Order: sequence, then C-alpha cells, then structure tokens
Amino acid sequence: MKLQAQYNRISIISSIIVLLIAGIGYYFLIHYVLKEQLDNTLRVEQVEIQDFIQTEHTLPAATTYKDQKIEFKKADQVFPQSFRTFRLYDEEEKENELCRQLLFPVQVDGQWYTASVTKSQEETEEMIGLILLITLGLILILSSLLFFASRFFVKRLWQPFRATLSAIKSFNLDAPVPIKTEKAAIHEFNELNESVNLMTEKVVKDYLSLKHFTDHASHEIQTPLAIVISKLDVLIQDPALSEKNLTHLQSIYNAVDKMSKLIQSLLLLAKIENNLFSESSVVDIRAAVRNKFLEFDEWMQEKKLALNNEMKDLHVTMNPQLADTLISNLVINAIKHADGQGEICIHSDNKSFMISNPGRNALDSHRIFDRFWKSEHSDGTGLGLAIVKRICDQYGYSIQYEFKEGVHFFTLVF
Amino acid sequence: MKLLIIEDEKELVESMVTYLQHESYVCEVAFDFKEAQDKIETSEYECIALDISLPGGSGLKLLQELKNNNKSDGVIIISAKNSIDDRIHGLQLGADDYLVKPFHLSELAARINAIIRRKMHNGSNVISFNEISIDLLTKEVRVENSMVDLTRKEYELLLYFISNQRKVISKNALISHLWSHEIGTGENIDFIYTHIKNLRKKIQEKGGGDYIKSLYGMGYKLTDQ
Repeated sequence: MKLQAQYNRISIISSIIVLLIAGIGYYFLIHYVLKEQLDNTLRVEQVEIQDFIQTEHTLPAATTYKDQKIEFKKADQVFPQSFRTFRLYDEEEKENELCRQLLFPVQVDGQWYTASVTKSQEETEEMIGLILLITLGLILILSSLLFFASRFFVKRLWQPFRATLSAIKSFNLDAPVPIKTEKAAIHEFNELNESVNLMTEKVVKDYLSLKHFTDHASHEIQTPLAIVISKLDVLIQDPALSEKNLTHLQSIYNAVDKMSKLIQSLLLLAKIENNLFSESSVVDIRAAVRNKFLEFDEWMQEKKLALNNEMKDLHVTMNPQLADTLISNLVINAIKHADGQGEICIHSDNKSFMISNPGRNALDSHRIFDRFWKSEHSDGTGLGLAIVKRICDQYGYSIQYEFKEGVHFFTLVF
Repeated sequence: MKLLIIEDEKELVESMVTYLQHESYVCEVAFDFKEAQDKIETSEYECIALDISLPGGSGLKLLQELKNNNKSDGVIIISAKNSIDDRIHGLQLGADDYLVKPFHLSELAARINAIIRRKMHNGSNVISFNEISIDLLTKEVRVENSMVDLTRKEYELLLYFISNQRKVISKNALISHLWSHEIGTGENIDFIYTHIKNLRKKIQEKGGGDYIKSLYGMGYKLTDQ
C-alpha cells in the first residue's frame, strides 16, 4: 500500500471517529442543556401557579396557550413533584408530539390537586436534529477535503522524495558517480538527501579504493616475491650445492610458487567481484576444453587416465579470460584429483557442460566451492573451485557437484 | 651485445645481472627515470628490460620517448601489474613483450633472446646447440640433418633449454613456462619428467647427444660439459 493511501486511510478514519464521538457528545450535551432550560420554564410556571393560589385561594383556570398546557386534577393525597417526558397526540398537527411535563401537588381549601404543566419538546428536538445534521455535514466536508488535499497537494509535497528515489534506483557502480540531489523545501527530505549524498559518496570512494587496492596489493606483494624467486634462480646455479640443500631449495620454490598462485587467485577473485571483466564475446567451450586437454596430455598419460569425450557444440557469450579460467580450473581439478586409473569423462549439450573424474570418497557438496576448502590430501590453494563458483555466480550459471559410484561429477549449466 | 635493465628494486636487478651476464651480454643498469633517460639517449641497446613504475616517472613514458626518437632497441616490459589493459597499452606503444612479476630469470632470458633474435635481421632464423638446430620459422628441429618429430610442448621445452643453455633451470620455472601459472607446484607435478624423458629419447634416437642433465630431480640443465 502506498504511503499516501495509508496516510489517507488513517487520517480519514480518525477524523470520522473523532467527529462521530464529538457529535454524539455534543448531542447529549445539547439535549441536557435544552431539557434543563425547558424544566426551568416549567418551574417558573409552577411558581406562578403557587403564587396565584397563595393570594387568590382558588385554582387558576386551566389553559392551553400555544404549546403550553396547564391542568388540575383532584388528588387523594400529597405526592412529590416529578418531571416526565411522553408522547401526546396533537389535535392541530395530527401527530404525536414529544412533551415535557411537570407534576406537582397544590392545596386549595384542604383539597389536594395534581397540577400539571406540559410543554411541547418538539422545538428542542428540531434543534438537536439540526446540530446532528451540521456535524454529519462537517464530517463529509472534512473527509472529502482531506482526500482531495492529499490527492493533489501531498503528491506535490512528495515530489523531492520521488526524485531522490529515482536517483537511488539509477545509481550504478559500473559508472560510479555519487548522487547529487537538489535542495527540497522540506527539512526531512533535505536530511534524507544529505544522507544519500554522503552515503553514495562514501560507497563510490570505497569502491574506487578497493579497485585500486587490487593493483596496489598486486604490486606490493609481487615485487618481494619476484626478488625471492630471482635469488633462488641465481642460487641453484652454484655447482657446489649438495643434494640436501637442493632438496631444501625445491621446498622453498614450491612454497613460493604456491604463495604466488594464491595471491594471483585472490586478486582474480577481487577483480571478478569488482566487475573488472565486463567485455564479453562468444566462446567456443568445446574447443576450449579440447585445447586444455591437449595442454595436459602428458599429465594424463603420467596418471594413466583416459579421456572419454562426449562433447557437442557449445557456444557461450562471456568474458574470454574468465571462460578460460573457468574451463582451466575444472579440467585441472579433474586431472589433479583423479584417484586411481580410470577415465575422465567430458560431456556437453547446447546448455550444459559436465566433467567427471574417478575418486574414492564423496566430498562435502555444501563446502566444496567455499574459499580455502580443501580435501584432506589436496596440496592446492583451495581457491580453484571457489573461483569457478564465483564466475558462475557472476553470469548466473549453476554449478553442481555429485558423487556416484566412485566418480565425482561437476555439472555446469549455462 | 648490450642490455639495459631499468628497475628500481636493487635486489632484483642484482639477480638479473648475475643471471644474464653471459659471455655475449653486457648488462647496464638504471635505477630511476632520469638515469634511464640519460642512458637511452646516449647509447643503443639490443634489448631493454623496463619496469613501469619507476621513481621519477613512468616507464611507459620512456618507451614513448624511445619510439619517438626512432630507436630500434628491443623492449620487454617487466611489471607487477597483471592487467590486460596495461599489457595492451604497453604493446601498442611499441614494446616487444610484457612479463609479469614474479617471473623466473630463465623466462626473462628466454624472452630477451627471442627479442634479440627477431631484431637481428641477418636472414637466419636458425638457432643451434652443437648438432641440434631449430628453425624458428618452420618450427623444425634437426639433429645433423635428420628431422626430430617433437610435440608442441617438447619443442617449447627444447627452445627454452637452448635459450638458457648451461644454466640450471628449476622444475618450477619449466612448469610455469609451459603452462603459464595454471597449475600449482606440488608433489604431482613430476610429469614434467615425462616430457624431458621423451625429449631426450627423441634427440638420442636421431643420434644427438644426451645434453639434458638432471639435478637430483629439482632442476635441469642443457650442457655439453
């Protein structure tokens, strides 16, 4: 529900409730006041009658004047005075009229009489009716005013908010420019705009510094690594090195290589996350996979692995460098972790690519694509499959791992 | 033949000079932009190894000056930045090659050799080591006069050995040359041995000498001594 509609609903409902309560309260109050006034008139009449009896020692004539009627009836005994309201048939107007009556005892020559003064209450009722009508009219006018006001004026009031919203919607880190909004007449919107401006400025700044971090980290770490490797390359030229020392050097080489690979993988992940691989072209997946296996032909021979090729034509539009990394990581993973003799099977149709390798135990399918997750015997960086997953996420591809009857299956759906 | 190394990391320069100081190479060194500018203006080099980020200015600016002055020095950029854009930019400015740090010195030597060979317009595209010769245009390998049938990887391996003859090349350097940085090095990289064994066998079958020596399996050396 729109804020405006919600606001309308609340304000209209609450004003109707308030006006209704006020109307009802008003009704009873007026009713009470007018009745008191009527009763007072009746009492004035009572006093006049009593005064008349006091001086004349006789009953005044029973009269009917306008809407006022005075009557006397013999009574057996004295009784307390009382007011009552009742309906009386009016001869003139041919209808039942609401009347207010004061009954009180009077004594003339030792005889008790019931004196009654009756007055029509119609006028009062009419007035109350009018008040009710005015109240209802007010409710109607106020709610329709509220409705139209919100429809035409509130919409204009929200205009700066809409402008800010559309600026936020079109904010894109591929073209990182902070949002600049115009000054609005309303304080709250200005506050919102200021926060949005500050926030996007910070986002853009952080994004750019993260982007530059990739370059800086690469430079800062690669240079000391380059020195270590170059020193090793010079050191092994020494003919006096013993076999034992050469073995140590081999370990250093391997560790440095691994570190270098690790840093490259981390930088690659950061680059993918920073969308630094935006350009794309059509990639022939079948050819890419075939070329990878040609590259690693001797490795396959060494591990006594056969290749079962069931690849069909498969073209995908993506960044060629990422496509190469994707295929390369999957192929290397399959050859590297192929356990025992057997075959690596590659299969593809027009939508998916599957690669399988023999293995002993099922791997944790929930964690296999996590960063730095490694099977017990792996000496890799633990980033190869994480990179595969990240590339898939980037393009919305799905990658799935399954283990069936001693074979690991990796299925990639483009 | 004269080489110029423009690089501000003194330790790295020292290693490069030690490795490259071959009987036919004379290495000169510049540690900053100004020094490099002076050296480039006053003499000619067969090849210049150029770092991009230098104290006092960008290596790319030096490259531009070099090309503006119609100098024919070969240039290999050595950079810590592995960015496609930088690579393309460098090559467009006229660099002959682009090598990303960290690299093995044998890789640098092989690439410098390749640049110098291309620059020497003496019509010969054949390099040789004793009775083994490689025709770089047709990619044919001969022992004396008989052709050796090598796979692509074996060919690359032999070329790499000849470019680094009489030097010990680590297994790791061989692997990163043949498969760039795709595969890490662990205990299961010994299949490089299969390649070398096959290469030796093929050369010996055609009557060539057994020149590739192993150093306890950690490295290899092409030598006739």
